[in-house]
Amino acid sequence: MPEKIRFLLVADSPGHTTGYYVVARALREAGVEVILGGHAQPEQIVETAIQEDADWIGYRIMDREPLVVVSRLMELMAEREQMHVRVVLGGIIPRSDIERLKQLGVEAVFRPGSSLDDIVAAITSK
Amino acid sequence: MKSPADSDEAQRRGAPDARRTTYGRALKPVYGPSDVAGSDYGRDLGLPGEYPYTRGVRPSGYRDREWTRRQVMGLGTAEETNERLRYLFEQGQTGFSVCGMGYAPYESSDPRSLGLVGRGGVWIDTLRDIETLFDGIDMAAITINQIGASLPVFAMILAEADRRGIANARLHGTIQNVVAPGGEGEELRGNHCIDIIEFCARQMPHWNHTSISARNMRDQGLSSVQEVAFGLYQGVLTVRAARARGLEVDAVAPRITFFFSAENELLEEVAKYRAARRLWARLMREWFSACDPRSQILRFHVQTSALSLTLQQPLNNIIRGAVHALAAVMGGAQSLSVNSFDEALAIPTPAAATLSLRTQQIIAHETDVAAVADPLGGSYCIEALTNDIEKEARALLEKLEAMAPVKAWEYMAGEADEAGYRRQRAIDAGQRVVIGVNRYRIREEEEEELGLGAKQVFNYEPAWRDKQIARLEKAKRERDPRRVETATRQLVEAYRARVNIVPPMIEAVKSYLSIGEIVQVLSAAGGMEELRHRHGFYLGQLY
Repeated sequence: MPEKIRFLLVADSPGHTTGYYVVARALREAGVEVILGGHAQPEQIVETAIQEDADWIGYRIMDREPLVVVSRLMELMAEREQMHVRVVLGGIIPRSDIERLKQLGVEAVFRPGSSLDDIVAAITSK
Repeated sequence: MKSPADSDEAQRRGAPDARRTTYGRALKPVYGPSDVAGSDYGRDLGLPGEYPYTRGVRPSGYRDREWTRRQVMGLGTAEETNERLRYLFEQGQTGFSVCGMGYAPYESSDPRSLGLVGRGGVWIDTLRDIETLFDGIDMAAITINQIGASLPVFAMILAEADRRGIANARLHGTIQNVVAPGGEGEELRGNHCIDIIEFCARQMPHWNHTSISARNMRDQGLSSVQEVAFGLYQGVLTVRAARARGLEVDAVAPRITFFFSAENELLEEVAKYRAARRLWARLMREWFSACDPRSQILRFHVQTSALSLTLQQPLNNIIRGAVHALAAVMGGAQSLSVNSFDEALAIPTPAAATLSLRTQQIIAHETDVAAVADPLGGSYCIEALTNDIEKEARALLEKLEAMAPVKAWEYMAGEADEAGYRRQRAIDAGQRVVIGVNRYRIREEEEEELGLGAKQVFNYEPAWRDKQIARLEKAKRERDPRRVETATRQLVEAYRARVNIVPPMIEAVKSYLSIGEIVQVLSAAGGMEELRHRHGFYLGQLY
């Protein structure tokens, strides 16, 4: 049997966690090993990803500016040689930022109205 | 693991559609006298302004007092938020409701504030920011709603009013305070949420010391019954906690307010507000022997649903917001905030914020729904749903009452997570129709071509952080170090002695200690865990 995908799920702030838990549950039901990292700073996110040997980081963004925090996250991942970990974003993210976020190395961006099946497929098909 | 969709219970509650209540009861095509057969007008309804207040809290509804137009906002530094506030007041807003104040327990200069300053609401470091926030606004003439219950921010509001010569007793407002577990001995000493209640009950007759946010849980996808039961349960806990401090029910209950949502199911929502009012009045009388009518009256603010808003075809959200607002008004809300149509995209633009306010004004001035108190009262359907929701909510409340409070909190949170998942699956499966998402969807580019997209989207300004750091540094340069030292010492002493923390907190913020510094000195005095425990959720939310 192939090893389970290890998916670290984090958020930029506490509260407003509906999407966070909904996505966690959908991934678990699809057989993904979801590690709930809670709300965390980029430094903590990378640290946890290393400790948990994550294949993916799922980053819920609501209160912080996506380009600012994701740039920082990618910078730290490069520093810590974690570029093999894929990053997927969800939340309140302006459409105009998506291209830039992908240039930074983000695999996919899911905004409100995304279906759970699409999210699951993006993670499990890679 | 058995999927929840397999159980009958989930079948009953799941797949909500427009012909079912959110708590799973099928709506009938027609309602008639037999649906309200057991009801008694005098016992269950009565006139508006009379027990059990099913029909509203005032005899002539909005003719006695209009609802407060209180749009939520908060962006940038205090300067940007002040500018937007003054604009909204010019446009007819009547209440202050600012988010972001004191959310972070650290200073704007802290690395943890990356990308956050001014995007998740307004940023407040010191009393200087609150002075700027209220600049040009008459604090005695408006109602001030503090979103979140940051104690330093509450103290700053009182300090600024004091500087302007306004006594605490003259201030009108609300703090989104809710009692969390914690505190020592019978009196629960050292629990800051109860300190706030005690302080307000003794000094601030027009200040709602408790605002129970059932809305935020509802907005995860709960049913109307759960919203009512979970909210009223927290109200009951609040009364008990205050009693432990020696405050009688009639000294506390009149200033407990509720914060509800308004969802798409307009008929059910109107019934929900009515059921909540009736159940609260009965509980206060039956369980607590509250005599003062003001203790029995349930007053509430509504913030319209965010859950039902869509990113797709965002202009549709204007229509949704209007339907939600209509439910709130026909249900007798005391205060209302209509979400802006572009909130799934970003912080609302000034145009979107104005439209939200206009939605309220059109309902108030152009329609007739505000002319008559409880206009839907007497409808077979509304009365049947009101009875139903009250009955189910009471049963759920009794179930919560049988649990230890900590277990009850876990249960409520678990139910909210479960509800969110069910709702999303129902949308994905097309069982729950969402226009623009699973029905009548069009590509985003096409939306824009048709003019159905948002023309402008709010742009975040990363320079706000530098501006805020400069404001903080200036406040620190200008303050009196001796006053800082004395205030810090007295704050820590009060914290250790577990006396009411509000008065020394006011002195602390008057010395221009920052929120970040306050959290630092208090956590140094007993550890961060203890501080969290004693302060509940809201010292700063972002630990």
